[in-house]
Amino acid sequence: MARFVWYITKRVLNYVVMIFVATSLTYFLASSFMSPRSNYESRTPRPPQESIEASLDRANLNDKTPIMERYQKWLGGIFTKFDWGMTPQGGSVNQEMSGRIGASVKLMLFPTVLSIAIGVSLGVYTAQRQYHWQDRFWSGVASVFLVIPTVVLAILVVFFAIEINSAAGTRIFYVTGLQSYTGGNVFLEFLDFLQHMILPTIVLTIISAVGYHLNQRTYLLDEMHADYVRTARAKGLTRKQAIRKHALRASLIPTSVNVAFSIAGIFTGAVMTEKIFAIHGLGEYFINAINGNNIHGAVAVAAFSGVCTLAGALLADLFAAALDPRIKMS
Amino acid sequence: MEEQNESRKLTNAELELQADAAGAGEVKRISYAGLIARRFFRQKSAIAGLIVLGVMVLIAVVGPMVCPYDYTEPDFAAINVPPNAQHWFGTDGGGFDLFACVAHGLGRSLVIGISYALLTMVIAAVIGTAIAYVRGWGEKVGMWILDMLLVIPSFLLVAMIVRAASGATGWLVLILGLTAFGWIGYARTLRTMALSLRERDYVKAAKYMGVHPMRIIVRHLIPNLGSILIIDTVLGVIAGINSETAYSFLGLGIKSPDTSLGLILSQGSSAMLSGPWIVLIPSLVLVVLCVSMQLIGDGLRDAFDPYSRAAGSVDDDTDDDGDQK
Repeated sequence: MARFVWYITKRVLNYVVMIFVATSLTYFLASSFMSPRSNYESRTPRPPQESIEASLDRANLNDKTPIMERYQKWLGGIFTKFDWGMTPQGGSVNQEMSGRIGASVKLMLFPTVLSIAIGVSLGVYTAQRQYHWQDRFWSGVASVFLVIPTVVLAILVVFFAIEINSAAGTRIFYVTGLQSYTGGNVFLEFLDFLQHMILPTIVLTIISAVGYHLNQRTYLLDEMHADYVRTARAKGLTRKQAIRKHALRASLIPTSVNVAFSIAGIFTGAVMTEKIFAIHGLGEYFINAINGNNIHGAVAVAAFSGVCTLAGALLADLFAAALDPRIKMS
Repeated sequence: MEEQNESRKLTNAELELQADAAGAGEVKRISYAGLIARRFFRQKSAIAGLIVLGVMVLIAVVGPMVCPYDYTEPDFAAINVPPNAQHWFGTDGGGFDLFACVAHGLGRSLVIGISYALLTMVIAAVIGTAIAYVRGWGEKVGMWILDMLLVIPSFLLVAMIVRAASGATGWLVLILGLTAFGWIGYARTLRTMALSLRERDYVKAAKYMGVHPMRIIVRHLIPNLGSILIIDTVLGVIAGINSETAYSFLGLGIKSPDTSLGLILSQGSSAMLSGPWIVLIPSLVLVVLCVSMQLIGDGLRDAFDPYSRAAGSVDDDTDDDGDQK
């Protein structure tokens, strides 16, 4: 047990160093490619020079201050007060981000669960029918969805939803936002939420279910041809029993590793889907930050994504260690 | 009798030499590339993918020449008209001919996708195999740096760089930005592949003969990853096209006056009711383009895989001959 704790501690320490270096690099990258000064200079009428300098200094975004000085001040704020800095407009990044994480989780939770359930079951179903028409059909569908750009998929879904809406004569699907009902009826409010959620959920579910399906199919096919499954068959188990009791269990180990990464992804949201469906989550915040020269905001989102990625990696290690008897903690 | 026993012990190579000595026409030889090509063209789906890609390239190259309109010049006499004889794909809300825009955007997508794929593969192959080859501390440090660079999703990092892209040279900035963070994942995979290669005798032999490490990497390690590199490059084109579409749609990649499929989609998505053809046509082009690349990639994978069906069998060959006759 002590060994296990030591192993995990070492991992976490390494990850903390990685996050620190990666975030710092992102800060320098963002600082050299974004210019908050242009936000003020492009205003009409152009504000007086002193006021521009003062606003930039207040937000610690003035490019006339040496970059290392700005970096130190920014880092100091994070380590002492967990303050991720200010936007060029003077807003607090912490405040703007915290609300958006909730929206991202609301958006991502259901599609993540759904895509795992659908993807893994399809993978198991098709692997057992390799080279049959079911396998060919579903693998063909999956490889088409695998390559078409997310934008195209989302736009086509929106297009057909609008067609259905105009054919039905009422608004069945809403294509923007998460909520629009303001009354007090809980049932209507929930219905309204579903009407908004269904399209982004379809898009996100398709995108990630495809990966689960193709991976699970490969994993199970690999295990089905393993020696121990043949042994199980030789001892008298039927094909179905051998697959369910032996091959399927082993094939779920790598899948659980992927699941761990998906769990972390719930918090970071989805840039393209959020932008297309106008959902005010973290992904949309990132794009707005980039377009608005909001250096601190963009770096904070990147750092948060990094933390989520590594939390996913750690979770994946733990899942694998818990499920796979072949892995020893050493 | 004795001679027969003798000949049974001969290896294939020796048998081939004997056949060669017996005279021309005994053995028909094909090169490795010829073999791969033969296996590739045995697959109908791969041929279909190649033909579709050819048509796409043709549209991108010849389209702007045969189209009477230019993608930069609006036709104010025809604003937002559906596809007709004059404007083959219709026009958008600004009066721009959609066929001219799509042909130009398709060219952009292809150029960006192909250069991205080639550049990332070259960088990833050199760095990935170099990390595997140096071993020891160099390998540890190299892997740590690769892992560190992968911590933050590269989509976010690329977005920071390409937002500066604008004007006529924006597509160059986009290629550079995509490449800057696109190679890391591939380098990691290729390093894993190179782990078994570095133990091979010919690599050791070269090393102890004093061959320069860079030369070993370029002459021995990378060529032996050739099949994987070729397949990954073809699939990398899809990744490049997808990224271009995503960034241009978000307003970060290609910007007007230049145009690309992603940009047309983003302009069309706001006018989906009044001009559905503006989003449907570029969407269709993108789907067809990506699926054709996927078919080619799958075809190549099967052609390189000695165990796949594309390797053919004796029966297949006689069948083929029978069909031809």
